[in-house]
Amino acid sequence: MMASMVANGNRDGRQGEALVLKGVDPETCMIVFKNHWAQVVKILEKHDPLRSNTSSNMASAVQNYVEHMLFLLMEEDAGQAGAMGPILEFVVMENVMERLFLWSLRRQFTDDMKLEQLKMYEMIVGQARQPLLHHKPVLRPLMMLLSSCSGTAGPEVEAELVSLLNQLCCVLAKDQSVLELFFHTSEDQGAANFLIFSLLIPFIHREGLVGQQARDALLLIMSLSAENQRVAQHIAENTYFCPVLATGLSGLYSSLPTKLEVPGEEWHCLHREDWLQMPTLVQFLNSLEFCNAVIQVAHPSIRDQLVSYIYNGFLVPVLAPALHKLTLEEVMTTTAYLDLFVRSVSEPILLQTFLSFILLHRHENVHILDTLVSRINTPFQLGTVSLALFQTLIGLYCEDVMLQLILRYLIPCNHMMLSQRRVVKERDFYSVSAAKILALTPSCCSPEHSPPPLRQLDSILWSKGTDNKTEESFLEEDGSGYSCVIGSEIYLDVNYLHYLYNARLGISSCTRACQVWSAPYDGEDPPPEEYQPSALEEAGARGRQAQTVNPKRSHPHPRPRPPCPPQTTDPAPTNQLELEWDDSYDAGPVVPPEAATAESSRPPQPPAAEPPKHIQEMRRTAIMLVKGSYIEESDFQDDVMVYDLVAKKDEDHFKVSSLQEKDEVPLSNGLSLPPHPTNMEVNSLEVTKGSKEVKAHVADHNSNLQSPLATEVGDDLMDQYEELIRTLGSDEAGTGGSSHVKTVDKEFRNPVVTPMEEDEVDFSSFSVDTPELEKQHSSLFGTKLRSGSTRSHSVPFTGPFVSVLLSRLENMLDNSLHVNLLLTGILAQLAAYPQPLLQSFLLNTNMVFQPSVRSLYQVLASLKNQIEQQASTKKDFPELITSAQHCLLARESSLKGQDTNSGDSRECSPLEAGRMMKSSPPPQPKTISLARTEVFATVLFTEFLKELAAIAQEHSILSHVPMEE
Amino acid sequence: MNLNPFWSMSTNTGRKRSDGEEQSGEQQQQRASPARPSFGKKQLPSIPKNAVPITKPASPAATAQLANGTHASYGPFYLEYSLLAEFTLVIKQKLPGIYVQPSYKSALMWFGVIFIRHGLYQDGVFKFTVYIPDNYPDGECPRVVFDIPVFHPLVDPVSGELDVRRAFTKWRRNHNHIWQVLMYARTVFYKINTMEPLNPEAAVLYDKDVQLFKSKVIDSVKLCNSHLFDQPKMDDPYAISFSSWNPAIHDEAKERMFSHKRRPEDHHKGLQVSGLSWVKPGSTQPFSKDDNPPLS
Repeated sequence: MMASMVANGNRDGRQGEALVLKGVDPETCMIVFKNHWAQVVKILEKHDPLRSNTSSNMASAVQNYVEHMLFLLMEEDAGQAGAMGPILEFVVMENVMERLFLWSLRRQFTDDMKLEQLKMYEMIVGQARQPLLHHKPVLRPLMMLLSSCSGTAGPEVEAELVSLLNQLCCVLAKDQSVLELFFHTSEDQGAANFLIFSLLIPFIHREGLVGQQARDALLLIMSLSAENQRVAQHIAENTYFCPVLATGLSGLYSSLPTKLEVPGEEWHCLHREDWLQMPTLVQFLNSLEFCNAVIQVAHPSIRDQLVSYIYNGFLVPVLAPALHKLTLEEVMTTTAYLDLFVRSVSEPILLQTFLSFILLHRHENVHILDTLVSRINTPFQLGTVSLALFQTLIGLYCEDVMLQLILRYLIPCNHMMLSQRRVVKERDFYSVSAAKILALTPSCCSPEHSPPPLRQLDSILWSKGTDNKTEESFLEEDGSGYSCVIGSEIYLDVNYLHYLYNARLGISSCTRACQVWSAPYDGEDPPPEEYQPSALEEAGARGRQAQTVNPKRSHPHPRPRPPCPPQTTDPAPTNQLELEWDDSYDAGPVVPPEAATAESSRPPQPPAAEPPKHIQEMRRTAIMLVKGSYIEESDFQDDVMVYDLVAKKDEDHFKVSSLQEKDEVPLSNGLSLPPHPTNMEVNSLEVTKGSKEVKAHVADHNSNLQSPLATEVGDDLMDQYEELIRTLGSDEAGTGGSSHVKTVDKEFRNPVVTPMEEDEVDFSSFSVDTPELEKQHSSLFGTKLRSGSTRSHSVPFTGPFVSVLLSRLENMLDNSLHVNLLLTGILAQLAAYPQPLLQSFLLNTNMVFQPSVRSLYQVLASLKNQIEQQASTKKDFPELITSAQHCLLARESSLKGQDTNSGDSRECSPLEAGRMMKSSPPPQPKTISLARTEVFATVLFTEFLKELAAIAQEHSILSHVPMEE
Repeated sequence: MNLNPFWSMSTNTGRKRSDGEEQSGEQQQQRASPARPSFGKKQLPSIPKNAVPITKPASPAATAQLANGTHASYGPFYLEYSLLAEFTLVIKQKLPGIYVQPSYKSALMWFGVIFIRHGLYQDGVFKFTVYIPDNYPDGECPRVVFDIPVFHPLVDPVSGELDVRRAFTKWRRNHNHIWQVLMYARTVFYKINTMEPLNPEAAVLYDKDVQLFKSKVIDSVKLCNSHLFDQPKMDDPYAISFSSWNPAIHDEAKERMFSHKRRPEDHHKGLQVSGLSWVKPGSTQPFSKDDNPPLS
């Protein structure tokens, strides 16, 4: 059997063969080849497998001959000047390969036979000494074989198929002339087609080696597309590559756990150790990474299409609803996923897609960004996870992010007194701000009063190394008669040096990164006058229409809307979501209530317009895709069947005229093709959606952050994605790879199947949370921010993000340690930005702000007062402080140990890295419960002051020097 | 010399920056910096003088300035950074013919050299040292002392100190900066002032017998230049020292300097830029750049 021959065709076997052939002259080889072929032809003609049962004897005889013939073919050298060798020429003339293929096709074409033939081709493609694929009589049967192997084949055949495809892609990457032939061969079958590529698509999201090989092969084609317009065009226009990739993300996402088992209260983001434990997440990240790679190497047309599908096929329909699920745990989990995704993506365009989703997309008429910001203030783990997400976002050094989060509120300079505008760019020559910040150090932590253990330890360390000699050498500089010694104090804060050093690193890297920004944000550029609130709105209206939204945000009764594609968001049923934060702390530019079009400073977006034609088209095809299995027009599969039926020997081109009949043709893989969806069907889809909307409004209780609508719309699409995944994954039957499909069903059916139950369960569970949420909001924002200003015109406002951060900071004494670590980390991260607007707002203690604007310094000052109060009422406070310092020190060193082990510095908060450096943990004098948040907060507060002061000091130097190398 | 005062950390960084400035085209050479421990966050810096109070007490003015609640222990940091800020300001000014660099041992002592390019003192190369009071910026104005007393009405013929105070009768923080002192030190060689001289002989000669004054100046310039290659007066690794042109050492440095000067933009291009922006210049809308791929 050929299989055995191929299996033995390792190096030794081949070399043996080669040795045998070495002495033999080409003419003899030719004669042997012809003889063998004559024998084979005799058998083929006598034993038509359709009419008579071919005996296994005959089959093995054929295989024997073929085996020898292939060796002769492989070992043949190319002729003069690249001409075909005589054997190859004979193969081409006699159409040997195709006849062999047809013969085996007409026998029972079992998996074993497919495997044999695949291996045969893999061998001759890989080892032949002359290019074989340039010749249609070799290429075409190969293509037929390939197409016949797609579909129902077993795992072994699939593995071999992908392996061969991968090999072919390598050949393509090296020799682009073959590419043309691949296309032409397809054209013979009736339509432009790029079979190799299409065959690989179903394996995109496969796990294991097969998936990896397929993705590698696809990447080869992708980089080919960057240079070859035709390939790019074909992939973008004639294949479902991009939709499959993007919707595949949706499918894989749906198999992720909707609720994470959180290891502890301290947990706030998915570390590598975490997700490595979750196979579904690993698989998702693999696919995301593949998207990232495709975007990196592919032709811009493919890149743009893929990005668009990821946005419209994954982020908007899947991730947005997931971010608005009903329970806190689910929402928290989604937020953690989003954070991980943003951290995993490296290609700027893909990152931009994610960021644009976060910053601009509106779900139920509320910006995702606003929702995320408002969640910082939830007292639960959701708040912590949200903080971690923002830490990631701020760490991107992305102008667009910073603009939306903070800078846009600072540009008009309304937050400061008019006279202060010139101060924005002023430089703090004498560290005045640093001194003022450090002056907030609580007396109980003051180094003069009770040197904390750190410093004691350091002193001990130093006294060992210090001796009188160095003392003298230090002082003898006075020989010149001029003192060059700065007066030094007894307790010199050594760990402050670390803060300075870290500040220097942080500011330098941030400054370097921000060189790509469009403006310096220094109070002059962008000019504050042009971006006064009213001007901002106009700018917004002129701005890019990113998403389709309903501009009438606060309109109590949403108007009936024209049918829109399933991806668009639905009108918010209520003001509910705005209440979440708008009323409480959005004191942005205000328009008289009757206008009521722009309640917030967010630029109103033009009304939902019909998406452009090509987008509609893409959606249509995407729907077509999710409705049926992956079938391209004029799929090769059909050709094979035609072959099968007609079974003509002649080599004339088959005209596949039965494209339209395809729908009824049962496929070899057992699936029957659904009819192509027409526009009518798309419309009906929307009609049903519309009716759902109406129902949703009727049923809307107006009583929750979430509305059932959200899930329903999502599910509508989800059903389709599910289906896609199921059909894509159905090939895996038997490999166990389709297990996730079941979870898809379970997880995503859930909210739809039992809406009533779901409502009951979640509403009740949520109603427990809600009062607390509201309490939180009102206590943190409502009273404080609105005090004295009842939304009058142009009340200065520094934006919701700053408000929330400062509010949480003000609560520092009640926050748990890790929340405070995150909070102070984010604020320090912000303070390291070199933009004078930001710098002056956060760090310049001399700046005079408008009375209604709360500054970081004010919050710090109020914290100091709170701490002093605590210290004065609690006798054991100093002792507790010491314990907490030791505890934090031990924590620090254990963290550092972990850090060096995992080597993943990204996940170590920069704040912690600089905090309290010490090589070994001191003995703990007394344990202290982490529940004593006020004690830990006091220690942390003191350290945070140092950190901020150090950043302020470094700014006074770094920000004013042209960047050095 | 294994002692490393804590504030030399920042003179170190300041010095790095001054390299390009300080050598532009002139034949000077720094002494090789001694090997010093790199200052990394994982490593504690070497020992500051904190265990025992320095014999020289902190000036009362410095402590007085620290408002109640401010901890005196940070005083040195403020002073240090004030001086660093001053130094960066000097660099920014690009004073013609003047180069300074803080000493290794103290940020309060800066070494400098001034090249006079025309006028009476043409071709003079004068080394000097700037001494900054330790209660800076609230003390007196910094002092400028020439290594060799230049023959000049405003330079003390014995100590070499330049009369700076006449220009800065009261040193005012935020208004007065050290670059102004350096600027002044340069100006005195181009516009001679004989009022209340520290060197009355020079003043009288200038007013009464300019020719003799000129010849004395030429002698003084010659004297100074003849001592140019002497060991620096101060034993400090960062003291400015001159050596004659040695192609093996200087050609390469010169080449580097000139190529760097010519194309500073290219210099940045090679850098890995990690920041992101899709904001169109002149807009404050996110993702307003035209080359954004369409998402919907």
